[in-house]
Amino acid sequence: MVRSILVPVGRLSLYLVVGAVAALMILPFYWMLITAVMPAPDILAFPPKWIPTRLTLEHFVAAFAKAPWLTYYWNSFVVAVGSVSCSLLFGLFAGYAFAIYRFPLQNFFFLLILGTLMVPVQVTSVALYIQLSKIGWVDTFLGILAPNFASAFGVFMLRQGIKQIPVDVIEAARMDGAGEMRIVLTIIAPLIKTTLATVAMILFLGSWNDFLWPVIIINSSDLRTLPVGIALFKDPYGNINYGPLMAATLISTAPMLVAYVISQKYMIRGIALTGLKG
Amino acid sequence: MISERRRSPRQVLARLHSRHVLHAYLFIAPVIVLFGIFRVAPSIQTLLYSFYKVELLRGRFTFIGLENFYSLLTDEIFRKATVNTLTYVTTIVPISAFLGLILAVLFNAKFHLKEFFKAVYFSPMVTSTVAAAMVWWWMYNPQFGIFNVLLKLVGVPEQPWLMSSHMALPSIIIFSVWKNLGYNMIIYLAGLQAIPQQFYEAATIDGAGALRRFRHITIPLLAPTTTFLLIYDTILALQVFDQVFVLTGGGPAGSTNVVVLDLYRQAFERYNFGYAAAEAMVLFLFIMAVTILQYYYSKRYEVAY
Repeated sequence: MVRSILVPVGRLSLYLVVGAVAALMILPFYWMLITAVMPAPDILAFPPKWIPTRLTLEHFVAAFAKAPWLTYYWNSFVVAVGSVSCSLLFGLFAGYAFAIYRFPLQNFFFLLILGTLMVPVQVTSVALYIQLSKIGWVDTFLGILAPNFASAFGVFMLRQGIKQIPVDVIEAARMDGAGEMRIVLTIIAPLIKTTLATVAMILFLGSWNDFLWPVIIINSSDLRTLPVGIALFKDPYGNINYGPLMAATLISTAPMLVAYVISQKYMIRGIALTGLKG
Repeated sequence: MISERRRSPRQVLARLHSRHVLHAYLFIAPVIVLFGIFRVAPSIQTLLYSFYKVELLRGRFTFIGLENFYSLLTDEIFRKATVNTLTYVTTIVPISAFLGLILAVLFNAKFHLKEFFKAVYFSPMVTSTVAAAMVWWWMYNPQFGIFNVLLKLVGVPEQPWLMSSHMALPSIIIFSVWKNLGYNMIIYLAGLQAIPQQFYEAATIDGAGALRRFRHITIPLLAPTTTFLLIYDTILALQVFDQVFVLTGGGPAGSTNVVVLDLYRQAFERYNFGYAAAEAMVLFLFIMAVTILQYYYSKRYEVAY
């Protein structure tokens, strides 16, 4: 009797708690969205308008008038694609070497690569900036890419993936006379495509959202990536104009959120299995 | 290709193996060279520059021994930034882990729309910190922001949030908990699902209630997960920068200044590169201490199950 009452009550409170926290999690996204599409007086209305009664695109027009968002998109895209493809290509070969070969100083090199994880760009930024200023890479795409041409996390993950492949597969390919380069590109790569996709997704996300290093190395406004563009879009003198600001934020987060909605199950699993740090 | 076919397979393999050392070095060369130039060298140079006065524009590097570090000891602003960083770390890490654990326990039950809710909880994690913090900056606005509007609706006095030197750091911490909660929950959920069901069944037969099962089975068996989360969250929290840059810029009155922000200001706004390198070394020491801790703890838990 007691049990038959308690179970539905427990169920109900579970939904209440889960639902309430979900509302808190989603509130900022919702608030960003409605601020971006409501006319200015409605944004500041009291009590707040939870459901917009009038829609407008004026904030998007204002956001585009003030900053070249398409350029920022392009910059973010170029940097992310550049760093992901270099990291995957170099990581694939290095991961193969560490997984399959035995060679002198193997452990030393492997620990050297993993050791870089302990010294994040937050620590090395000063020296890296000085170094890049000497070779003229400050304020260039190459400069943004410099610390992200290769990824220790990528090497590690790809090595783990390649270790799962039976050695017979590689031996058989060698017997058929395939060169090592060809084995890596045409036999290994397709076999670990899930790992490759997960690593690519995590590195892309990391690069797309990266802020500290780009804001250090970029001076000119036409090289800004999206996070830098957003951060510097805010008027430092407190001139508050929230509509265009939220429109800009929406513009910059929308593609990643859409990608997330489409592939959330896969993205959550990938991030949970591997951690986020690039 | 054809000439290789004519040899016996054994010969081919032997030849290939002897060439493998060369292949190995060839294959790791890009990563090693790139890391050597852009990761390892700057790490060593950071240490080196921390003993120098660096005037980049004049190209002058003057060795000054430990002077940067001596200055750090008496630098009130840096001391405050270090204290703030440590306060941030020691509050956000346990709070995220604790709330993450509770949510994971809830999500370990079966209910409708679970995957949908999981995705909602995780969504801040995939959003750019800068963009998310910008939305929160608006929500924290003392006059029109949604938080004060809600407080006003229920009759609670409005709060100054980011404008007050007492509330600014807690406000940043609330933002960061929102941002990281989903990750902590997902990791704990994976840990929970790895616990064999038999333990619970056996304990139930022995008459252990839900709370005792949680305390004596779930908590101890989650210890490796907890260790991982605490270490991982701590290392990331030590590097906090983006949300502080957007939400407060370190203010008001330095109450939210953190190590990386101070380092950034010293190096790239005031061009005190040597001094900033010394600050970077302090940050590195914190990260190293946590990493060493992790090394010992992960050894202890290797035989957990």
